[in-house]
Amino acid sequence: MAGRRPDFDEDTSRVKRVKVEENGYSKTDPANNPYLAHWDSADMKNDPVNSADRLYKFKRHATTAKEAKAAEDGPINPFTGTTLSSRYMSILKKRRELPVHVQRDEFLELYQRSQILVFVGETGSGKTTQIPQFVLFDDLPHLNAKMVACTQPRRVAAMSVAQRVAEEMDVELGDEVGYSIRFEDKTSPKTMLKYMTDGMLLREAMHDNNLTRYSTIILDEAHERTLATDILMALLKDLVLRRTDLKLIIMSATLDATKFQKYFHDAPLLAVPGRTHPVEIFYTPEPERDYVEAALRTVLQIHATEPEGDILLFLTGEEEIEDACRKINLEVDEMIREANAGPLVVYPLYGTLPPQQQQRIFKPAPPPREPGGRPGRKCIVSTNIAETSLTIDGIVYVVDPGFSKQKVYNPRIRVESLLVSPISKASAQQRAGRAGRTKPGKCFRLYTEAAFKKELIEQTYPEVLRSNLASTVLELKKLGIEDLVHFDLMDPPAPETLMRALEELYYLNCLNNDGDLTPLGETASEFPLDPALAVMLIQSPRFFCSNEILSLAALLSVPQIFVRPASQRKRADEMKDLFAHPEGDHLTMLNVYHAFKGEDAQENPKQWCHDHFVSYRSLQQADNVRLQLKRIMERTEIELMSMPFSHKKYYENIRQALVAGFFMQVAKRDGSGKSYVTVKDDQTVLLHPSTVLGQDSEWVVYNEFVLTTKNYIRTVTAVKPEWLLEISSVYYDLDTFKKGEIKTALQRVHTKMARKEAEKESRK
Amino acid sequence: MAQSDDEDDYMTMVFDEPKKKGTETSLQRRARIRAENEIKARVKSKTELEAEEAASRETGLDTAIDPSNKGFKLMAKLGYKPGETLGKSENARKEPIRVTIKENKNAGIGVDSEKKRKFREEMENEAKRVKVEEGDYRDRVRQENEEKRLEYELRNAQKTAQWLADEHKTATEKDASDTSPASAEQKPLKSINVLWRGLVRRRLEGERNWRIRKSLDDSLPRSQRLPIYVDEDEDADYKLALGRDTGVTPIEDDLDEDDPDLEAFEAQPIVDRLLKVVEYLRQNHHYCFWCKYKYPDATMEGCPGVTEEDH
Repeated sequence: MAGRRPDFDEDTSRVKRVKVEENGYSKTDPANNPYLAHWDSADMKNDPVNSADRLYKFKRHATTAKEAKAAEDGPINPFTGTTLSSRYMSILKKRRELPVHVQRDEFLELYQRSQILVFVGETGSGKTTQIPQFVLFDDLPHLNAKMVACTQPRRVAAMSVAQRVAEEMDVELGDEVGYSIRFEDKTSPKTMLKYMTDGMLLREAMHDNNLTRYSTIILDEAHERTLATDILMALLKDLVLRRTDLKLIIMSATLDATKFQKYFHDAPLLAVPGRTHPVEIFYTPEPERDYVEAALRTVLQIHATEPEGDILLFLTGEEEIEDACRKINLEVDEMIREANAGPLVVYPLYGTLPPQQQQRIFKPAPPPREPGGRPGRKCIVSTNIAETSLTIDGIVYVVDPGFSKQKVYNPRIRVESLLVSPISKASAQQRAGRAGRTKPGKCFRLYTEAAFKKELIEQTYPEVLRSNLASTVLELKKLGIEDLVHFDLMDPPAPETLMRALEELYYLNCLNNDGDLTPLGETASEFPLDPALAVMLIQSPRFFCSNEILSLAALLSVPQIFVRPASQRKRADEMKDLFAHPEGDHLTMLNVYHAFKGEDAQENPKQWCHDHFVSYRSLQQADNVRLQLKRIMERTEIELMSMPFSHKKYYENIRQALVAGFFMQVAKRDGSGKSYVTVKDDQTVLLHPSTVLGQDSEWVVYNEFVLTTKNYIRTVTAVKPEWLLEISSVYYDLDTFKKGEIKTALQRVHTKMARKEAEKESRK
Repeated sequence: MAQSDDEDDYMTMVFDEPKKKGTETSLQRRARIRAENEIKARVKSKTELEAEEAASRETGLDTAIDPSNKGFKLMAKLGYKPGETLGKSENARKEPIRVTIKENKNAGIGVDSEKKRKFREEMENEAKRVKVEEGDYRDRVRQENEEKRLEYELRNAQKTAQWLADEHKTATEKDASDTSPASAEQKPLKSINVLWRGLVRRRLEGERNWRIRKSLDDSLPRSQRLPIYVDEDEDADYKLALGRDTGVTPIEDDLDEDDPDLEAFEAQPIVDRLLKVVEYLRQNHHYCFWCKYKYPDATMEGCPGVTEEDH
């Protein structure tokens, strides 16, 4: 249950649904919608009569590459009817040099012949930008009021690729070519090609089981095997049987495509070689005791001794990356001073980085400091974002320590956490391949060849095997999938994973005794949230604090709001203490949000956040999420209410509402005082050092169970055991507990409560 | 107690309880409860906590979800039978992926397993070694101790020999002429008796190393921090006072030379070397190393013998 928060960064989150739905309503039947009357107006650019007569001659699913090329050559844009710009022409020339263009006819032939097609194109083949355009010219979706969808595992990729393709087609981004990601829908009624995250398409499927508005669906980067992609594949595998007019293209960057073929009813395969150069691979003779230090050393050595070419270093997370960037900068300054080294610019790259900062990695390397001086380079320090989906030209050297932060989930101890783990062999190959984009390159692996062979697994485990499936099961139930046990996933998870998901949903009262969706579950599935969070939100009016819980749900759905820069830890902690609520982190977060929305802070929110060491971006995002959730609450008729702040039960009620959602994430302090033991799973855990909670709370609810080198529970708030027994009596049925300290303690509380109740009765 | 109405059970309870309690007096009970509370109240150390965490995690990871679990029952309703896998593919997984945590945060790939491998190898080697050497361990220790002792005696004997030789020499030289006292250090190394040349040589080496280190220490900060004025006409005393005097010791050059005589001597077993020095002392100075006494004449009356055992 823990670790939902990172999902929002990586965009597998459920918040996306919000926007989609609005779309969904607007697009279902434009003819009946007065707001969409302009769809039929004659002055629309893509009105077939005056713009695209050229394409009218095209016979759908019977075109050839030659016809398409002629249409592409202009001089009139076949989709908009405007004259094509000179920029278009120069881009077109480059596009024609991409490897996929050679096989355009072959592609069209297979696409027309088969309903499903597996397409393998190595990075750099141009598949993500070109294939959807090939499809447009043959599928002609705009003439049938349909669209072509192309999914991407990452938001950044969806945005940047859409931008690129809009330029290639000489249209405005958001018109004929658009994108749809969480909280941002850059599409219009004109849109015929839509890049979107895989999670978004899954959300759309929940409300339109047959995905009727699409004529072709392209699942790109399928080799990444995100949770949403895997679920989509299983759904689409079934859907193509029902919708024979729907075409499906599975695109992958790795050669392990036979698995896809086999899975998709033996679909035909088309492989296009990438434009890659040989990459020389170096291993270390001995294992590295400190991979970060070794990585920095390697980067500096490359800069000092290797010829021109940019460097790509893979590290695991934001903190590590920022730290490495700082250190490299310091060292390079010294190298420039003392050894007259060339200039080196360092760019960090990770998911939570603001998009405009992510774009900086595409800037060219710096010029020499003086004419004729040593050439400059850029060094990108990245998470595994740069492993497949982003194409950065100019990289010649790759430094690969062999780790990435991966989600892990184990249903037995119910831990879902991001953990630094060794990458797979396939990942290592992919990383090395990044060095050979522009010319022959070098890859420095910071481990021995023996370790590569023995210690790395062949393929990265797909996300579906590493995730808590509670929200997925809720989605599938909503999608009308009855037989979850035989749901045809490519790599089905262990049965225990499904067991846990069903158990959690049952105790949350989202599923009934027969495993069917309850009305509560029905409502919960409307929320793009983890089921526990959704249930907490739905139950909050019972505790008269739905406004506060709404804010809290939003805050728990965005990246960490507290900022703690390495150089100013003390100051940051002091600032956090200003907001600290003695009873817990949830309440502390709420205090921050309330202060942020206060008049003082809103005068200059950016400055205020900077001064108080909180993340402006996260809070703004939380604000946005809150708004989206509020709309769903209004639609599902959940009352918004607050108690007066001065009421003595103001905070107590919030804590009780927390219990209503998170009663399965409770820990009790161990006798000795420092450690806690989780209820039912008996895991020994410590409070995360970031908590504001003192050591004297016997019972706590927690938001995440994280693993680092220790077991931690993070974001904790004190609760009373009486609440557990009252609010979630089914889960806290004492007969289901194992003998032990927790059971004894709960039994004591139970007796006390019964006695009090009896006293009350007798007084009456 | 679920069977509270059952008469038999009620009876057993009545008889059981006092029997058990009867064995413990109130004082014993107090002591027991206090001891229990002490155990409970004790703050566990970090390592204990870590071990406990790891242990609870490992047990948790090893324990499959029980069929009494609600999720299990719900799945059974969907037609799931224990032991089956999900989905339709043939080789779906049965067990969840195990969570493994890196022992050392920054260790690179292969370090942990390399450490384990080395540890295992070491353990194996150790086991072998112990087996072989178990028998002569005592002998070896005794021999080592004996050698250490002899080494110590040899050093002492050498010192005595040098001292006696110097004393003798100064006495004779004083008679001849009143020159400045010549110490052993100023003699070329090769001219020193091979019996204690090793001793002198080691001392000189030690001194030289110390000097080198000192001059390095002195030169670095001084030349960096205090640019000093160098006067060519400075007199020698002044230079010495400022520590700028580079007095050259002639023997130093000898230190780097090969010394076959010394090598040959040092190659002999320690017992022989000691014996030689002791004999030298007896013959030249009528001194018995073991009696620690200088006899007036060559007969050395009263000394039991040459060897240590004689004494």
